[in-house]
Amino acid sequence: MASDRIVERRRIFQQYKADVKERGKPFYPYAMFEDTVMSLVVVCVIVGLAIVWRYTTPGDHHTTDAGWLGKLYDKPADPGTINFVPRPDWYFYFLFYLLRIFKWPNSVLLGTIGIPTICLVLLIAIPFLDVRFERRLLRRPVAMVAAGLVVISMGVLTYKGATAKEALGSELLADVPHWAASEHFSNNATAIAGAKLFAVSGCLNCHTYNGAGGHNLGAPELTAEGAKNKGVAFQIAHLKCPSCVNSGSPMPSFAGLGQANLTKLATFLEASKGGK
Amino acid sequence: MATRRLTRQQQLQQTILYPVDWLEERSGLVGGVKYFLFRKVPGDTNWFQTLGAATLTAFLVQALTGVILAMYYKPDPQNAYSSIQNITNHVWAGWLVRGMHRWGASVFIILMFMHMGRVFLYGAYKYPRELNWIIGVLLLASGLAEGFTGYLLPWDQTAYWATIVGININGTAPFLGPFLAQFLQGGTYINGDTLSRFYSIHMLLIPGAIFALIGLHLYLVVRLGVTSPPWSKEAAGTGPLADPSSNGAGTRSGLVNPRQRKGR
Repeated sequence: MASDRIVERRRIFQQYKADVKERGKPFYPYAMFEDTVMSLVVVCVIVGLAIVWRYTTPGDHHTTDAGWLGKLYDKPADPGTINFVPRPDWYFYFLFYLLRIFKWPNSVLLGTIGIPTICLVLLIAIPFLDVRFERRLLRRPVAMVAAGLVVISMGVLTYKGATAKEALGSELLADVPHWAASEHFSNNATAIAGAKLFAVSGCLNCHTYNGAGGHNLGAPELTAEGAKNKGVAFQIAHLKCPSCVNSGSPMPSFAGLGQANLTKLATFLEASKGGK
Repeated sequence: MATRRLTRQQQLQQTILYPVDWLEERSGLVGGVKYFLFRKVPGDTNWFQTLGAATLTAFLVQALTGVILAMYYKPDPQNAYSSIQNITNHVWAGWLVRGMHRWGASVFIILMFMHMGRVFLYGAYKYPRELNWIIGVLLLASGLAEGFTGYLLPWDQTAYWATIVGININGTAPFLGPFLAQFLQGGTYINGDTLSRFYSIHMLLIPGAIFALIGLHLYLVVRLGVTSPPWSKEAAGTGPLADPSSNGAGTRSGLVNPRQRKGR
């Protein structure tokens, strides 16, 4: 049976070669003409995008204002002020949105590594999963439905990733008095300073606190972090190097904030007892 | 008079062809190019089958503009951002080269997906072209890795924070994850070494791999041939046509009734 199939597919390929030899067209000039036209179109599109990018940017091009195709460049990288929502390039939005579906720590592996790996392995395996000779679209219903589902899910994930709203530091800053009231640290100036830092340092892109936060990597809920009574020293050490204290933690180091700011943040975290 | 002119013409031809013959005799390259250009492809190939060439063109645009950018870009945290500003605002046509590289990346990735979709719909990954499909998937992964490593290089806020998240995602992978993250960062957190590492990977390691894989990809395309559109009435591989008169010059069949064809 299997050897029949091997004989048959070899026969079909020999037939293909004979047919091409007999009634094919030479690559040059026929196919090459179409390839050349298409290549020129590609180059023109790329040049066009570059021109639109630059000439729709307002101002003298030294600003970081956005044109039709976005900013020419953002503000310089600054590890100190972390009031920034991380955004990948658009073709990674689907991956980016997977992170929001799968929450830290239990299933984040599935979202970040598991599903992409499975997709890649399946993609490589396609020629070995589909071994029929049939190439006509209507005679390959499974392949067509699978292709449709992949296109739709990639499209939806990309769209969701593009339109996902993260909490912005400036909006979160307005919540600090509410946090102080519900967590009872209104009379603790260091904790309030820490809360402001917490709001603008991008912590809530991954963490949640009193109903705020973006679940970006599904990092732990911090509303009642202080109830664990780990101590200010622990919190500072953790902020400086999360993976040193908590092996395998994907949280970045915040050592760049400086000792004084870290003390404020740690005081704020320890003061957050979940409102008790 | 006439004969003298002919002789001169022949002499001229010989002079012009001498380097070609010299090269052919020593390398066989001329024969190779002739074989590549005049090899037969199925008579019914169509515009969808230019997507591969379009993807190659987009990659070559990336390679060329990348080489030019590398002449002005400085891969260290103190100078990276200002060198990008310099390229954009002061270097002659620098904005164009950078814009082409920035948007060419998106075009390249879109074209890779479209080319893959075309190959999938045509069933062109089937025997004997399985290996070329795998090489194509590796090229897709390499292209995405180029996108990831290139995103950091402007060293602005977008680049910096997106890369932190990206590295942390790598870090969550089992077993190798933390090592991979440390290797990419060149330490326990993102720093100046991270930038030079990404730069080296972005402009040496992955492009080298992509060039090699494209070479293999094209070799297999030439060796195994191009597939006919699956719906074509005169698809190569179906054997002699039932009615030879239907094999008219310039015929291109669209979606035709598949009942007329024997199953294959």
